[in-house]
Amino acid sequence: MTVEKIVLNTAKIDCTGCKTCASDLAAENLRHALARLTGVSKVQVDEITSKVSVEYDTQKISFSKITERIEKLGYKVEIVSREEIQ
Amino acid sequence: MRELTKGVIQVALLGIFALAGALISGSQVAYAHEVSIALTLIAVALGYRIYLHGIRSLRHGNVTAQLFATIAIFISVVAGLVLPQASATGTAEAVGYLTASAIVAFIILAGMTLEDYIIHRTRGALEALIKMSPSTAHIHRNGAEVEIPIDEVKLGEIVLVKPGDKIPVDGTVISGHSTVNQATITGESIPVEKTVGDRTFAGTLNENGALEIKVEKIGEETTLAHIIQLVEEAQEKKAPIQNVADRFTTYFLPIMAVLAFSVFAVSYFALGFDVALARTVTVLLVACPCALSIAVPVAVAGTIGNASMNGIIIKGGTHIEKLKDVKMVAFDKTGTLTVGEPKVVEIKTFGNYSEEDTIKYAAIAEKFSEHPLSKAIIAKAGEMGMKIPDPTDFKTIPGHGVDAHYGNKHILIGRKMMETEISKEASQLMSMIETEGKTAIPVALDKNVIGVVVVADTVRENSLEAIQRLKGIGVKTAMITGDNMRTAKSIAEQVGVDEYQAELLPEDKVAAIGELKKGNVVAMVGDGVNDAPALANSDVGFAMGAAGSDVAVETADVALLGDDLTKVEYAISLSRRAFSTMKGNIIYAFVWNVIALSLAAFGILNPVLAVVLAEAGCISVVVNSALLLLNKPKPLAIAVA
Repeated sequence: MTVEKIVLNTAKIDCTGCKTCASDLAAENLRHALARLTGVSKVQVDEITSKVSVEYDTQKISFSKITERIEKLGYKVEIVSREEIQ
Repeated sequence: MRELTKGVIQVALLGIFALAGALISGSQVAYAHEVSIALTLIAVALGYRIYLHGIRSLRHGNVTAQLFATIAIFISVVAGLVLPQASATGTAEAVGYLTASAIVAFIILAGMTLEDYIIHRTRGALEALIKMSPSTAHIHRNGAEVEIPIDEVKLGEIVLVKPGDKIPVDGTVISGHSTVNQATITGESIPVEKTVGDRTFAGTLNENGALEIKVEKIGEETTLAHIIQLVEEAQEKKAPIQNVADRFTTYFLPIMAVLAFSVFAVSYFALGFDVALARTVTVLLVACPCALSIAVPVAVAGTIGNASMNGIIIKGGTHIEKLKDVKMVAFDKTGTLTVGEPKVVEIKTFGNYSEEDTIKYAAIAEKFSEHPLSKAIIAKAGEMGMKIPDPTDFKTIPGHGVDAHYGNKHILIGRKMMETEISKEASQLMSMIETEGKTAIPVALDKNVIGVVVVADTVRENSLEAIQRLKGIGVKTAMITGDNMRTAKSIAEQVGVDEYQAELLPEDKVAAIGELKKGNVVAMVGDGVNDAPALANSDVGFAMGAAGSDVAVETADVALLGDDLTKVEYAISLSRRAFSTMKGNIIYAFVWNVIALSLAAFGILNPVLAVVLAEAGCISVVVNSALLLLNKPKPLAIAVA
């Protein structure tokens, strides 16, 4: 089993102005949507900086499947780091 | 939920330290004053989530209540430490700055935690769906029945589903008979019969019989998983009205900065430093930009969540706004208002021949035909309990009928096969049947017409109610169909649509929708596959019976997962309510801020009261929006009245 950890910067494509309360809701949605993907073992979403970190089993799910899911939820994704941790 | 528990503990600790600090300050303990200051400062520090939120949001160019609160608390703490002792932690008659900041931090943190909780609850509908996915499945392996995690089930395997168990996969029944409650998917709580050859969905509940199901889709590929993903995506899509709220919030920061500064300046010169400081802090604390920014997203999430529990997927906030304006709903006929499968509705006979004879010979001749009308006849024979022998020979002439032999008997089916043999009586009867929009199929034995089988598409059980409900909320209805005028007229009269158009080719349907759209917001309801172009041309496209058809779910603006057309009215009514909630919330939040800020600027509020007001404003907006989740369909009588 190979576990990778990726850290992504995400931005809501149609984001304008004040969103903090709303972003709590979005962060919760994002967290749950990613956590449910088969092969994903850990998800952290920072509701203010929109930084997402995901740990996943590379044999069960591909990197692109994860970013695709985030993009489908209306975010732009930018890779900050990607490393094998196990 | 773990974060919520953490939040509650923080709130409680903050409260305890603040209270202890305030109590000790008035007591006779040694170093009472110093201990009190220390305890109060710890309390204020425990509100660190507020300050983190506030400071980090500033870095991202956002304006939040937490930002104002952070500034206000900072000013108060500094004032409390710097100003003379009397106003620091409190005297008998007034709460000092330091204690006030602890109380303010307590209220804001409590408010934030409560909002987190409500937001969490807004996801309730989704969570309920997610919980419906079973985590294990029973399968046959190496001759024994074993229970394995759902991840390990492979395509093509056979899963066993016992009565009372949830079906773990999408698949086809290969043995057994049962009823299945598919409410998770379709929103319809009346169970449906499932037997060999029927499709089943993951997350639905098997009721009374054991089923063996061949696995076709698992995990993220199942219909249930798709629904969950679609609902998540839909909740993320903004409603256009959000832009109005965003425009307010964009101006919030500059307005607040100017206001806080002017209040301080004016009060300082008119009433002195103490008053000026208190008023400025109050102004900063009473502002509640959050109520504006959160009103719409929570309402969108609540509405889409509610719809999903009723078997309706609304694909985003934009469609909620369109739905509320719908004045006309156009329905496709075949497969939408009607069942879409022709059925034998009547059998007319001549001479000494019985209904059984007519169906029997018709079924023999049609036994190997794939034509929908043949299937209707064979199904009828089956219902009548007949065993149908094979024809000796048969010839299907497309568009005309069938010419077959059974032993030494010659069977002819279809009008064009027997133009010369048909009697005047039979001919008249058939014309009459056809004016009713039904299909008359004559059956001849040795060139004698022995009977006429009447076949018609039947109206869906709830089509009439669906139309009545729409009328009840002031929405007009139309039917557009490719079928002939007579059939169209007959069905239109049965279901009671306001207008209908017949003999339309798919491109004519697109044009018909365009025509209806002049001066109306038009929704179109179809199967989502054949009607895709017309659905796309309408303002809101509804695909019905969409469970299991990914194409239909993808293309539609609103997908009805079951066959229940009454959901069209529910979707419109729910959207109307949702929109008025959103609009109401924005106006309310705006007015609230204006009034609260005015009161604060004129010194009518104190900081603690201000923060209570601000939190109350925000929470009432969130609660009002979240309540959309609990909306329920009205009974028909009320909808009509």
